[in-house]
Amino acid sequence: MPAENKVAKLSDITKIIKDGDRVAVGGSWLGSHPMAIIREIIRSKIKNLTAITVVGSIDIDMLIGAGCLSRLMFSFVSMEAFGLAPNFRRAIEKEGLPYDEITGLAVIIGLEAGGRNIPFLPYRGPFGSDLIKYRPEFYKNIKCPFTGEDLIAAAAIVPDVAIIHATRADHAGNAQIEGTSGTDIEMMRAAKKRIVSVEEIVTDEEIRKHPEKTKIPKFQVDMVIEAPLGAHPCSCAPDYVFDPWHIMKYMQAATSPETFRQYLDEYVMKPEFEYLEAIGGMRQAAILRRLAREVKFL
Amino acid sequence: MTQYAKDYSVGELMCVTLAKEIEDGDVVVLGSFTPLAYASYILAKITHAPNITLLAYASVDTRPFQLSFTRAEAAATRGAALMWTMLEDLNSVHLKGRGDVEAISSIQADQYGNINLSVIGEYDTPKLRGPGGAGAPEVIKMHRKMIGYFPSHTTRTFVPKVDVITGTRYVIGAKERVKSGYRPGPIRYITNLAVISKEEKDRPFKIDSLHPGVSVEQVVENTGFELEVPKDIPQTEKPTAEQVRLLREEVDPYGTIAFDFKSGKERLEYLNEILQKELESIGY
Repeated sequence: MPAENKVAKLSDITKIIKDGDRVAVGGSWLGSHPMAIIREIIRSKIKNLTAITVVGSIDIDMLIGAGCLSRLMFSFVSMEAFGLAPNFRRAIEKEGLPYDEITGLAVIIGLEAGGRNIPFLPYRGPFGSDLIKYRPEFYKNIKCPFTGEDLIAAAAIVPDVAIIHATRADHAGNAQIEGTSGTDIEMMRAAKKRIVSVEEIVTDEEIRKHPEKTKIPKFQVDMVIEAPLGAHPCSCAPDYVFDPWHIMKYMQAATSPETFRQYLDEYVMKPEFEYLEAIGGMRQAAILRRLAREVKFL
Repeated sequence: MTQYAKDYSVGELMCVTLAKEIEDGDVVVLGSFTPLAYASYILAKITHAPNITLLAYASVDTRPFQLSFTRAEAAATRGAALMWTMLEDLNSVHLKGRGDVEAISSIQADQYGNINLSVIGEYDTPKLRGPGGAGAPEVIKMHRKMIGYFPSHTTRTFVPKVDVITGTRYVIGAKERVKSGYRPGPIRYITNLAVISKEEKDRPFKIDSLHPGVSVEQVVENTGFELEVPKDIPQTEKPTAEQVRLLREEVDPYGTIAFDFKSGKERLEYLNEILQKELESIGY
């Protein structure tokens, strides 16, 4: 038998992600979002997706601005210190993008239920929150069958596809995450198909030197894509920080649909290697890596 | 005798006041990157509360680190004793009831302990779509204390009733909390004017202390709901000279705390200044 090889090109994502899919997007805050895959979704003009995020930022905002989503499930979408997410706001306030706003723990616990192949998990949920009223398809008030205690049932979430960005993987898909894993592992366990992009593809010997770093086993991975700096302009801790200079440009561009279209043309609608040149190439990469290395403890 | 700082910003005062909410041994969750709250926890850790456990990004028990605009996640990761997924965090800290403080902020907050990070206006046709609550709607109930910080204390923020209840403390009062399986603790809001708190369901928020130079009337006028006004309200303790020195020289030399107090164009210019300093710090 030949050795398993799930390594593919970025453009191969269309073999897995189809129009209309429910796609769980990994990463959290401004960290480790699978941005190279996000850009490829936009390039490939995949449409009518439902994106699922726990704490999203530019990943979700860019998909919305490029017109790839017909629905959004989220607990949080923000550009953090840079401000509210411009395309996200515009799409909901002006264009009526349908969405399901679910509390953070309910999304995470829902994904966990999906991964366990059960329809819900109970917890001491967000009692008193209006979101329970607004989205009864995701929350139910239940009583503990043993004690009678009031609990909330969080509905299972089973994405069609999960996409995440990791530090490294071997050809079979065993993937290591050195930084912020967020809900990536739960997403990969719950989803029907999974794509991981990595900073670097390594040999299986290399993976086995540090098995404790491996967070995703190969049987939960369908496709591996090498994408150095693939989280940019987000961070991939502890290797590089997010790119505040690029994010400021993005925020400026996203103030109107017209200028955002120009941003997409300038940075996204071209091959990924040209993107890396456009954002400042090796020099910019060196700065972001250097910042991530030079931290000070007190 | 304590030597108080002669010169300090309102951000530094809020930061020091929030740090006092942290008790040694607490489990403190850092949440989204909010410089003021991060600086408070780190200040607490290097002064009166060295044994707190900081959870930042995926890290557990990370070392106290110097803040900058870009490097909090890298520092937290490099200083971690352990790396967890969000689910491991939830299972061990949030759902278990082991969290003490995870300070939140909100677009609106009301007299009942409700917060709104969802929308201003009608839910289905909002005037403003906010970011959503992430874990806030749930953690404000689960953690021992519900601590909020508000850089802009106005009737726009403190409203009688929030437009949408994204989340709520839900169980208020020591007895009720214990009965429902939660540890007792107050709701306490630290603002740019005062400290207010609520400990009982049927009593309003009370003014705990007024920041130096702030009058009772100013706080009452800028709060959209009834406040209990005790006869003698203490002044919020000023930062000490040493606390201000630590903040400016050790914890936050790039000045990220001030970021929350700036808006629009000024904010962008200030960010460029910070980033310039960060570049210089790595030799660019």
